[in-house]
Amino acid sequence: MRNRLLSFLSPVALLVAWEALVRLKILDIRFFAAPSQVLGRLVAMAASGMLMDDVSISLQRIFLGFLLGALPAIALGMLMGLSSPVRALLAPIAAAIYPIPKIAILPMIIILFGLGETSKILTVALSVFFLVLLNTAAGVLAIDPKYFDIARNNGASRWQIYWTVAFPAALPSIMTGCQLGMGFALTVIVGTEFLGADRGIGYRIWTSYQVYDIETTYAGLVVTAVIGWLLTILLQEIEHWIIPWRAAGQVRTSSVHTSSQEQSSMKRYAGIWLKAVRPFSFTASVIPVVLGGAAAAYYGFFNPWLFLLTLVGSVAIHAGTNLANDYYDHMKGADGPDSLGPSKVIQQGELSPRAVLGGAILAFALGAAIGLYLVSVAGSFIFWLGVFSILAGFFYTASPAALAYIGLGEITVFIFMGPVIVLGTYYVQAQQVSWPVVLLSLPIGFLVAAILHANNLRDIEGDRAIGKRTLASILGRHSAVIEYAILLGGCYLFLALIIALGIAPLWTIIAFLTLPTAISLARRAASTVDTKILNGVLRRTAQLHTNFGLLMIAGFVIGLFVK
Amino acid sequence: MGCDWANEMIGMAPAAAQAASPKIAVQHLEFAYPGARGGTIMALAGLNLAVPDGQFCCIVGPSGCGKSTLLRLLAGLEQPTRGNIAVRHDNPALPVNSMVFQGDSTFPWLTVRENVAYGLAQRHVPAALRVARVATFLDMVGLRSFSDAYPGQLSGGMRQRVSLARALANDPEILLMDEPFASLDEQNRLLLQLELLRIWETERKTVVFVTHSIDEALLLGDRVLLMSARPGRLLLDELVAFPRPRDPYTLKREAAFGDMAYRIWELLRREVNRARDIEMQGVA
Ligand SMILES: Nc1ncnc2c1ncn2[C@@H]1O[C@H](COP(=O)(O)OP(=O)(O)OP(=O)(O)O)[C@@H](O)[C@H]1O
Ligand SMILES: [Mg+2]
Repeated sequence: MRNRLLSFLSPVALLVAWEALVRLKILDIRFFAAPSQVLGRLVAMAASGMLMDDVSISLQRIFLGFLLGALPAIALGMLMGLSSPVRALLAPIAAAIYPIPKIAILPMIIILFGLGETSKILTVALSVFFLVLLNTAAGVLAIDPKYFDIARNNGASRWQIYWTVAFPAALPSIMTGCQLGMGFALTVIVGTEFLGADRGIGYRIWTSYQVYDIETTYAGLVVTAVIGWLLTILLQEIEHWIIPWRAAGQVRTSSVHTSSQEQSSMKRYAGIWLKAVRPFSFTASVIPVVLGGAAAAYYGFFNPWLFLLTLVGSVAIHAGTNLANDYYDHMKGADGPDSLGPSKVIQQGELSPRAVLGGAILAFALGAAIGLYLVSVAGSFIFWLGVFSILAGFFYTASPAALAYIGLGEITVFIFMGPVIVLGTYYVQAQQVSWPVVLLSLPIGFLVAAILHANNLRDIEGDRAIGKRTLASILGRHSAVIEYAILLGGCYLFLALIIALGIAPLWTIIAFLTLPTAISLARRAASTVDTKILNGVLRRTAQLHTNFGLLMIAGFVIGLFVK
Repeated sequence: MGCDWANEMIGMAPAAAQAASPKIAVQHLEFAYPGARGGTIMALAGLNLAVPDGQFCCIVGPSGCGKSTLLRLLAGLEQPTRGNIAVRHDNPALPVNSMVFQGDSTFPWLTVRENVAYGLAQRHVPAALRVARVATFLDMVGLRSFSDAYPGQLSGGMRQRVSLARALANDPEILLMDEPFASLDEQNRLLLQLELLRIWETERKTVVFVTHSIDEALLLGDRVLLMSARPGRLLLDELVAFPRPRDPYTLKREAAFGDMAYRIWELLRREVNRARDIEMQGVA
């Protein structure tokens, strides 16, 4: 479990370190393109159609060459395994040719077939052929002879024995040969395209290197890696599909489903995940992003595509944080099965802790990819903002510092779910820092801190019992209630301030419509110790945050059109 | 009977003459495996045996004495080194024999259903008939709900039952069964013994049944053969005359049953010891 997190974190850490080293000019930018620049180049290559063109021609060569090599190899390999004369005839030749690096044969192939497509496909075919041939033959030879006896005793003819015994029994080694061959095919095609090609991913890497277009070279490497990875996954999927008994045998306990059962369980599964990411909490990140976008638009900067990316990226990271929170709270024992806040999917056994952690990693990976792209567009500031956000998210609950466990939860949330998101979104649009924007982000910062505080107020006894030191459990109920009121009050105070300073359009005054709710919430929180009622306070504080944010956004949008 | 009709169609001898000729006739059978350093291992030497049509014939003998080898020879999977084997094939529409192999003999790449249907599929039995037969025998061995599972998902005993169902679904003239119940639990063994008895009593197939359990041989068989230590010959050949249908618990309480079991055990014990001596010498 821990290992899985580590194996996700190590490449991320490497990327971040790399990016940081380039941005700090410790690595020479002429030789080491920053990850964000590479991603930016990739997107540009994709947009111009060049990427599709290179990838499709390379893939076409790989697939044609693979089929041309693998299919005869399987047929001949079967023969070699089944018939000892054929084996005696072919084995020495195969053994002699197999170790020659196939790329070394390329000159001969070019002499015979010229520089066109044929010679590239043939080189791939040749490198695949011997691997598949030898693996197939070995697979057939390794078949337990009892299976042939059983088949004969059941009346199978010679031909039927090939099809019903020899072939399926050798399939696992045939697939192994194909997987190895596919890896070779990729290597060989890139090498071949270095030499004599006018298109293709290898060609792109080589020509960009020659003109010192280092970003494109890296982009080509990344694409090659991704292709290799996708081909591996593709072959694994095919293997699952044509060798179903292998996967089935590995999980002895797995019960036998009918397909309709599987479908309904798929639906149920999707529902569980939807519950696990806690979409109702997304407003906490969606509202500040939209506010930042609205503010940017109000000040005259707006790129809808970048805005959409920011929105999706921050929701992905929010979902990842929720999942990671569930996971770590579960591991620390903070949430029992009857705890009211989190999604309870782990506690109720609907998802394994492992699955939840995997989901978190996936969501973070999506968020990180989008973040990297935004860095390539908007530059260093977004990068450092992102690094600090990631660190904050990590230390929020994850050991060892666990900000949420030492009374720093509210302040962390205030900073990162308020000014940081609003300013970050604004920066992606405007590519400049603006102090007024920081100021206008403070009201919803207060409200999001109030949400967390309401949560901690409700859980005050439980948190004390397990030694989770939140601000509420440190201050005690009396002071905590006062703090809740201060957070709500701060929100409206700063709203008044930014309107007075002319930072926000006058229209944002409509956000004051929520003031009565805020006052009644503060009273309510002060007058009860009932967990149920406090739970209601928590829910309505979150609602208040949403409504207040929407009204403020509306104020900006109206201000945009009615000047 | 269907058999007679088929025999007349292909111009074979009338039923009366056939009754005289045994279903399986083995004469002076010798079989040697190639051994280490160019030598040979004599598995069977001078074995004579005649099994009449419809007999349930049980074979016991020490481990390594050549029981499985004999069955493989009867199935035509090996050719005798010396002597000869004659097996009468009466109905060409049916397979002459089906073997339940010793140990696990399911195909891992076929589902339970496909394993049971394997022989039928090779002989191109019409699909509807195939489905019906497979369902019948999967029910019989209690694996209906595992139809779509792969053998890798089953326990050893369950796999053994799949092999059993496959042999029975083939509907052969001769059933060759090599310790078919050896890896089963006590309850399933009893249930399947009774089920096999029921099938045999209605269909009267010729059965050659290898077992290590004397009780099982006496419960199931019309006749029990005891093989000597390697090279295997017949040491004892007795008819088991208990009336049918037999019930295991009442049968075991009869004095005649106990006497016979004890007599065979005495002989078998001597052979087992002798077999050990032979194998020890082989090692030395
Ligand atoms: N494939 C083989 N190659 C060489 N020798 C073999 C082979 N199979 C069996 N033998 C020899 O033949 C002898 C008889 O083997 P067989 O399998 O017929 O014994 P068995 O009576 O069925 O024993 P068990 O009760 O343990 O199954 C054994 O002693 C063994 O040494
Ligand atoms: Mg045996």
